[in-house]
Amino acid sequence: MYPIILLSVLGIVVLFLGFMKSKNILLPATLLFLALALGSNFIDWNQGPLLYFYGMFSVTNLTLAFNAIVLISAFLIVAMTRGFQDDEEAQPAEYYGIMLFSLVGAIMIIGYEHLIIFFVGIEILSVAMYILTGSDKRNLRSNEASLKYFLMGAFATGIMLFGIALLYGATGAFSLTGIRGFVSTAAGAQSYILYAGLLLLLIGMLFKVSAAPFHFWTPDVYDGAPSIFTTFMSTIVKTAGFAAIFRLLSHSFAGIYDFWYITLAVITVLTLFVGNVVAVYQDSFKRMMAYSSISHAGYLLIALTALTAQTERSILFYSMAYSVATISAFGVLMLIAKEKSLDGRPNESYDAFNGLAKQNPLLAFVLTVSMLSLAGIPLTAGFWGKFFVFSSAADRGLIWMLVVAVLMSAVGIYYYFRVVIASYMKEGNTGKIRVAPFYQIVLVAATVITILFGLAPGFFEQLL
Amino acid sequence: MNTTYLPSDFLPIVVQLGLALAFIVGTMIVTHLIGPSRKSSLKDDPFECGIEVKGNARTPISVKYFLVAILFVLFDVEVIFMYPWAVNFRQLGMLGFIEMLLFMALLLAGFYYIIRKGVLKWEE
Repeated sequence: MYPIILLSVLGIVVLFLGFMKSKNILLPATLLFLALALGSNFIDWNQGPLLYFYGMFSVTNLTLAFNAIVLISAFLIVAMTRGFQDDEEAQPAEYYGIMLFSLVGAIMIIGYEHLIIFFVGIEILSVAMYILTGSDKRNLRSNEASLKYFLMGAFATGIMLFGIALLYGATGAFSLTGIRGFVSTAAGAQSYILYAGLLLLLIGMLFKVSAAPFHFWTPDVYDGAPSIFTTFMSTIVKTAGFAAIFRLLSHSFAGIYDFWYITLAVITVLTLFVGNVVAVYQDSFKRMMAYSSISHAGYLLIALTALTAQTERSILFYSMAYSVATISAFGVLMLIAKEKSLDGRPNESYDAFNGLAKQNPLLAFVLTVSMLSLAGIPLTAGFWGKFFVFSSAADRGLIWMLVVAVLMSAVGIYYYFRVVIASYMKEGNTGKIRVAPFYQIVLVAATVITILFGLAPGFFEQLL
Repeated sequence: MNTTYLPSDFLPIVVQLGLALAFIVGTMIVTHLIGPSRKSSLKDDPFECGIEVKGNARTPISVKYFLVAILFVLFDVEVIFMYPWAVNFRQLGMLGFIEMLLFMALLLAGFYYIIRKGVLKWEE
């Protein structure tokens, strides 16, 4: 609860800091505010399950851990913005303010206890994302992405709201506990209005985390948005979105598992298939990362479909590993795309990475570790993320789904290694890229986290 | 309270729907039948008010119009929140008063932000 209030107020403060003559204060101020929010997040640590805002918002150690992942990811991403100094069109104060506000939405959907809080939260998050996607005003692709995202997102929101209305019509309750009470009755387990409401709500939620067949916006939006905001979208929205879906299914609808698990299983397999297979055909690294984010949504969906006692841990670990690896991959991409820019536009194709390792061994190493982690190679956090997800599916006996998932991760190795091969084996004329010290710290920190949790995943369990 | 509804309980809604539809279709048919129909270049103008139409309707319009329109909606809707608060002023008491002050403070902060951003400077 504390980060919600703090971030709302501090977001306004950042907006007003933008009126000062010097823009240099914005970056350190935003980082300080994020650190404050992260600190205040832990005030409620180990206080047991708490309810705030008239029982509409709940706080447990699990939601606090999700908040921490979201806030730390945001901290790393904001640190990579370098104050938007290279772009005179940029409005840094507004960008930082909107990022802080969107985190409020993310935290609200991580800990909602009432569907209205969920709805308000996801709107805060989505509207902020629509704006950030279109923030590169002079770029036609950015405009297109923003408009597409907005129109499709608005439809998804409508479907979601319809689902919430039907759930209310069936159960007479907006709170997760109230819905669970109804589901556990004999009439509730047979209510078709409830089924329809759940499916519509799930469609809306799965749209936001870009699961197939609701993924069509993802490549265009991720590709068109400025890379820094693509990073923000693909880590924070995904983590918060999966926390929200998990919360809904585990708290309210565990009683009718037999009903929704088939739907979710089909969507999972489809997401894995589409994400991984289409990623192979991409020529642009950034577009490949968009499909990779779809495929990772598929792996996270496996854990949701299984819904065992381990699921919350595995989702938490997986989203942490995925976020950190994605941040460092995009971090390297942004540097190289700028260095190799064509006609004033960042060059995001695979070719831009050719011969990277010769002059920039650190960047090549960071990129390699993050690709290994995304592909799920041992000794990285991504391996253990996949391991936990797969083992919870095995506990549930979803062997056929595991077979698909393992096959698809083998496909994944192909496209993740393409960029590694390009940077080590291919000939290129990449000069030495100057990396700002702060930027370097972020890249190294993300890499260290990936390797640390890859070597000792048990350490993470002890933190919780 | 009766909590189970039979399909027949929804009959009034069906009747309402039917009436609404019948009214629209009915008036359309009736006006078509009894109204005189004269066609001329003047009569077919989009706006029959004596002023000749100039140019295309889809001309680019300065974004300032949209900004002002959106801001108007924002500050217009905000007043709606004041009414229920004013009606229940005594019951809500001191806490309600403080909450309303907070609400107004946030709103005025936004207003100040708009002015500083120069959104309301029409001439530039």
